[in-house]
Amino acid sequence: MRKIISLITASALTVSLSVASEQFSMSDADRALYKEMLENNPADIFVDEGSELFDEYVTEEALAKFLGVKVDDLPKIIATFPRYIPQVDEVLGLDQVMQIVMFKNGHKPFKLKSSEMFEMLAYAKSLANGEPINIDINANKKMQESYKLGEKMFMTKRGKRGLSCNSCHSNSVVGLILRTQPLPNLGDVNAAGTWPAYRMTKSSLRTLQRRFQGCMKNALLAVLPIGSKEMVALEVYVTNLAKEKDKKIAIPGLKR
Amino acid sequence: MHRNSSLMLSAALLAFSLSETLYSADLKSVVEMPDASKILKKDRLAPPKKYVMPKDCITTDPLAIARGKYIFHNLNGKKAKSKPPKGLVKYVMAGGKKKPKQYGNCVACHNIEGAKGGGNIGPDLHNYKKHFIDTSVRTYEYVYQQIADPRVHNPNTNMTINLTTGLFTTREICDIASYVVSEKK
Ligand code: HEC
Ligand code: HEC
Repeated sequence: MRKIISLITASALTVSLSVASEQFSMSDADRALYKEMLENNPADIFVDEGSELFDEYVTEEALAKFLGVKVDDLPKIIATFPRYIPQVDEVLGLDQVMQIVMFKNGHKPFKLKSSEMFEMLAYAKSLANGEPINIDINANKKMQESYKLGEKMFMTKRGKRGLSCNSCHSNSVVGLILRTQPLPNLGDVNAAGTWPAYRMTKSSLRTLQRRFQGCMKNALLAVLPIGSKEMVALEVYVTNLAKEKDKKIAIPGLKR
Repeated sequence: MHRNSSLMLSAALLAFSLSETLYSADLKSVVEMPDASKILKKDRLAPPKKYVMPKDCITTDPLAIARGKYIFHNLNGKKAKSKPPKGLVKYVMAGGKKKPKQYGNCVACHNIEGAKGGGNIGPDLHNYKKHFIDTSVRTYEYVYQQIADPRVHNPNTNMTINLTTGLFTTREICDIASYVVSEKK
């Protein structure tokens, strides 16, 4: 089922996108397709699968218990991720916390970059849909450190072209065109609240950290592994950008 | 008796805190937290560097200009469609593996004669010779330095760094610069 759908969308999209991408990133036909997909996001299927995996391996009860909250308060606390987790004395993403809960439930944790984890993360984050993003970068010293590290990662030029995230996502270039693509302000487009998302050009479900990796690869910055302190820190930084713009969680997103 | 019980209590506390740390160490090993520091160290960027333009760098040699043009308009050897001009390859060997050669993709940020989907993050480079060189607003040295390491002109530049990063050779920077300042039809 899943394969079929992604195949259909993949072929429809690659044809229209590659033909029309000469000057602007989306032609009218693509925009129409995008609108249509918004009403019927292909990612919904992945979220459904994530829901089944979540109920089998994690469960709301166990997650809430580990986080020390009532099940009813899960949405609120999910909207604060990445957050400080006292049990391990680290700032973690929701995917990493689910690894712990899987372990506690007697299962072997999914790898962070596995499609199972991507799907489960999409579902777990969607539990907080409609919640305002509420990361607290001043919650404690570790959160402050993580934010600082994220900001540094965002600003530091590196790689074969000497670029930083900020080279393409600073306010000074937002809205300008990089080879047919308008550069987005990551707060305004609510990157933190809309990933995991269905990426039309990749015909698959991608997470925020996976999206970071895409930009790194494209711009020749060495790709950092998902779950590393630096990647979580980048997520903290980018999540705070969305919080500053009063964004809410809306999973799954749909991206070009 | 009193002494004993307090001893026992501290022993119990010790055991408790020990098991707590063991426990958290255990949990930590469950979480994937890969170390990225080595990757980042290798990827570090050298500080801004001022270059002296080599003699005979800027040339009207059509082959050099063709190479510069090719580098300007293409991203890498895998994406590039047309055949590269003499002296430029599509693939290089790196660490025993055949990898696409990276080009400049300058067109991502700059519009110029014949650009397809040129960006506007950097200034428009149409008629560069007429507007910038012939008017003495810019020198060849400036163009060379800008492409090699633009941080020398603007520490906060959003432009790519092409020589200090080792992405290109000195000759390739000269080819690109020769193309930018060349008379175009
Ligand atoms: C060379 C330019 C460039 C660099 C460097 C770059 N990006 Fe991007 N980024 C883009 C462009 C262009 C897009 C929009 C692409 C699209 O529309 O699909 C984008 C999109 C994104 C998005 C998705 C936004 C959305 O729609 O939700 C995220 C998140 C992101 N970038 C993060 C980063 C991070 C983090 C870094 C640094 C590690 C980085 N980018 C470096 C050009 C860049
Ligand atoms: C990611 C964006 C980006 C890319 C890629 C890029 N540039 Fe630039 N370029 C800029 C910006 C921004 C400026 C404006 C000056 C500054 O901030 O450094 C600039 C300035 C220039 C100038 C100076 C114009 C003047 O004022 O006289 C030249 C020449 C130039 N670029 C050539 C190139 C060439 C050649 C390449 C490819 C090898 C390239 N650029 C790639 C963004 C870019």
